[in-house]
Amino acid sequence: MADNLPSEFDVVVIGTGLPESIIAAACARSGQRVLHVDSKNYYGGNWASFSFSGLLSWIKENQQNTGISDECEDWSKLILENEEVISLSKKDKTIQHVEDFCFGDQDSAENVEEAGALLKLPAFGASDVDGVAQESEKECTPMENTLAEVESQEPEKAAGTEPAGTVEGSDPEITTENESSQSTAVGESAPETGSAPSESSAQGPKKITYAQIVREGRRFNIDLVSKLLYSRGLLIDLLIKSNVSRYAEFKNATRILAFREGKVEQVPCSRADVFNSRQLTMVEKRMLMKFLTFCLDYEQHPEEYQDYENSTFAQFLSTRKLTPSLQHFILHSIAMVSETECSTLEGLQATKKFLQCLGRYGNTPFLFPLYGQGEIPQCFCRLCAVFGGIYCLRHSVQCLVVDKESGRCKAIVDHFGQRISANYFIVEDSYLSENTCTNVCYRQISRAVLITDQSVLNTDAEQQVSILTVPSEDVGKPAVCVIELCSSTMTCMKETYLVHLTCPSTKTAREDLEPVVQKLFNLNAEKETENEELEKPRVLWAVYFNMRDSSGVEKKSYSGLPSNVYVCSGPDSALGNDCAVKQAETIFHEMFPTEEFCPPAPNPEDIIYDEDEIAPEEAGLSNSTETKPESSTEESSSGGSTAVKKEDNEE
Amino acid sequence: MMAIRELKVCLLGDTGVGKSSIVCRFVQDHFDHNISPTIGASFMTKTVPCGNELHKFLIWDTAGQERFHSLAPMYYRGSAAAVIVYDITKQDSFHTLKKWVKELKEHGPENIVMAIAGNKCDLSDIREVPMKDAKEYAESIGAIVVETSAKNAVNIEELFQGISRQIPPLDPHENGNNGAIKLGKQTSQTGGN
Ligand SMILES: Cc1cc2nc3c(=O)[nH]c(=O)nc-3n(C[C@@H](O)[C@H](O)[C@H](O)COP(=O)(O)OP(=O)(O)OC[C@H]3O[C@@H](n4cnc5c(N)ncnc54)[C@H](O)[C@@H]3O)c2cc1C
Ligand SMILES: Nc1nc2c(ncn2[C@@H]2O[C@H](COP(=O)(O)OP(=O)(O)OP(=O)(O)O)[C@@H](O)[C@H]2O)c(=O)[nH]1
Ligand SMILES: [Mg+2]
Repeated sequence: MADNLPSEFDVVVIGTGLPESIIAAACARSGQRVLHVDSKNYYGGNWASFSFSGLLSWIKENQQNTGISDECEDWSKLILENEEVISLSKKDKTIQHVEDFCFGDQDSAENVEEAGALLKLPAFGASDVDGVAQESEKECTPMENTLAEVESQEPEKAAGTEPAGTVEGSDPEITTENESSQSTAVGESAPETGSAPSESSAQGPKKITYAQIVREGRRFNIDLVSKLLYSRGLLIDLLIKSNVSRYAEFKNATRILAFREGKVEQVPCSRADVFNSRQLTMVEKRMLMKFLTFCLDYEQHPEEYQDYENSTFAQFLSTRKLTPSLQHFILHSIAMVSETECSTLEGLQATKKFLQCLGRYGNTPFLFPLYGQGEIPQCFCRLCAVFGGIYCLRHSVQCLVVDKESGRCKAIVDHFGQRISANYFIVEDSYLSENTCTNVCYRQISRAVLITDQSVLNTDAEQQVSILTVPSEDVGKPAVCVIELCSSTMTCMKETYLVHLTCPSTKTAREDLEPVVQKLFNLNAEKETENEELEKPRVLWAVYFNMRDSSGVEKKSYSGLPSNVYVCSGPDSALGNDCAVKQAETIFHEMFPTEEFCPPAPNPEDIIYDEDEIAPEEAGLSNSTETKPESSTEESSSGGSTAVKKEDNEE
Repeated sequence: MMAIRELKVCLLGDTGVGKSSIVCRFVQDHFDHNISPTIGASFMTKTVPCGNELHKFLIWDTAGQERFHSLAPMYYRGSAAAVIVYDITKQDSFHTLKKWVKELKEHGPENIVMAIAGNKCDLSDIREVPMKDAKEYAESIGAIVVETSAKNAVNIEELFQGISRQIPPLDPHENGNNGAIKLGKQTSQTGGN
């Protein structure tokens, strides 16, 4: 099945992070022959998300620091006399200081394996929950279905086999309800066997064990970067414009939280929120509404802020009629800017952006992709593939081949020693060697990921996606952005929350973030703790790491790169994705100044196979009866759809 | 009015086994000898009645990403069913079938309905894979199995009917939508400024 890779392309893209994937899609969409490779066995590079076991492997790999084995083919004979090479890096060095912690009984998980997606045939004798045993038996019944038997089955047969929460896309919240009546979600998890007995769901939050996390590992989609999509940000615009949005689904962030005086509170930000808020006094409600209304068109009222243009936004806020708690909300949770560094105008701009994004999809300005941020690069890769792009994971590139005379890059040599030529080369920063990057100065991002057993702010509704900004106690140090995801985002198992912490690094990730973790969470899972600690969510598992931030590096800082080699950066520390989208569009336009960037892909309903196109080829070749080629006419609600010819294979 | 349920079905199998031909036959009742390796339109829909529901199959073709074993997990997300295709005239394609099943188990959703299609059964005189092997294997993993011919329109409808029947009926409490947002459709809610 693995046919040989063609040796000529228009564009070679190395790395499958977000900017590279957008560029690959844009190029394929505009008719370029694209080869898209990644040296890893997963999509996304540092934008990837992992199952729990996947993340554990990733941690191990980054702690061991072993290089990728050096069994590459010799390529020297492939290089001509008038050519020189730029070697690429053999090892990704973007992740440092990885420290993981398990706060439960790790031993009990020793022999536990991650459950596969599908129930295996052998009956689950050990199951201790009646309902489960029954249900799984039922699930086994259809297994003998050869067609003959299927034929004989009447539809009502199917009615009996319904496992709860079957087809994805079924309401997770409903599944939760089902679940609460029974401790194990039927059809949700492989039935319990051995070590971790399912606790009777008598009182309080159930104790999730490490063994359960391991077994339910596939439920987790843990992002290496933690971001949200601004509902009017560049990424949403691009997803919609290009029709790539059809590949993904989103959840709204449901709450904006603030951390003040040791407590987590919800920030009212929409008009409805403000009016319904119980924590604000009538006076505060009026103050806040008045200020937010002003921010929406602050440009029209320069007299209100011009005296403070040289002050910080925080100082400006203190001159407005706002109580300290309102000032805190606006500064940290709405504008989400630095107390010491953000100017009045920047703060007003940020506030306005936040307010403008409200209401498009819900009550907060943010969306989060189901299954994690790691889906987004994959969606662009799919578009690229649909338009002919060729994909190779686990495919390293040894070097770039440069023509001495023209100074342009002509080809790459891959780890099989195959020489592949192209006109343009997109390389993600982490693939460049130390030689190329000697003059580059990188920043770092501090990251932590926690699996917890409760939300940082419990309310009636369990399924919340929350964003919380925790300002630093040291003046001048950056605030920590906390995003808490619930299981309906398809990023963590039931009864758990996935918490992401991010800030620009000043030290190691653990040093930067642990103080915030300690404020918000209870780290003493086993010990008896004081009442106050008990109210906090328990951390079941945690990892800290630093990620290199290569955003904002100028191309000229890299030594000796030909003009037709473009560098994409890894993730930046900002909350949104604008940086990646801007970078992709800029690079695309440098390569193809006259081409449109990611025009909409046609809808399938709009692709009408032109009968004349097919007929001649078909004549004589097929003995099938002549058929109407339009697909699914009966439902084509797309009344005035334009006829788009099927994109034909160029090769 | 009958409820329409959208069911995502993804196709798997070696290149050249006839994945696109099967979809093409099912959706358009059309067969093309010179079909190109899948590029371009990798997505088709067809609606069929099933009980008192209408099943709208959203059929995803691999778009070539499988060629170098680089399918993205997002390809499987939310699939109600997977059709895994092999070519009855190619023993190799039956071997790799098992790899696809393994991959599905790793990346696919739970409870996904699996259907194995032994395609090109019009060429049974040069058959390499006995039906018995396929049946046994399908049984061991709990999959439906059929031999099909996209060329002669054999068992293609039946394949999808078989899938339809395995799909549990919609829970009346569910509205078929998990509260997730699809962009592009204007779902803008009220509230906020
Ligand atoms: C190459 C290619 C690959 C594709 N791959 C996939 C894929 O892998 N997965 C996938 O799911 N889809 C894919 N699609 C198509 C995709 O967008 C489908 O149209 C969509 O998934 C089907 O769901 P839908 O309800 O949006 O479609 P439709 O059938 O277009 O919409 C259903 C109904 O909603 C209405 N509607 C649609 N949009 C709006 C709107 N904005 N406002 C109000 N009403 C609206 C329609 O009029 C219609 O009545 C692909 C398309 C192409 C061209
Ligand atoms: N005789 C016969 N040939 C078939 C049948 N189905 C497909 N073919 C032929 O097999 C070849 C490959 O079919 P495709 O549908 O392109 O296969 P595919 O699995 O989609 O291939 P990729 O897109 O490359 O992964 C084509 O030449 C088809 O005409 C069949 O039922 N009988
Ligand atoms: Mg195909």
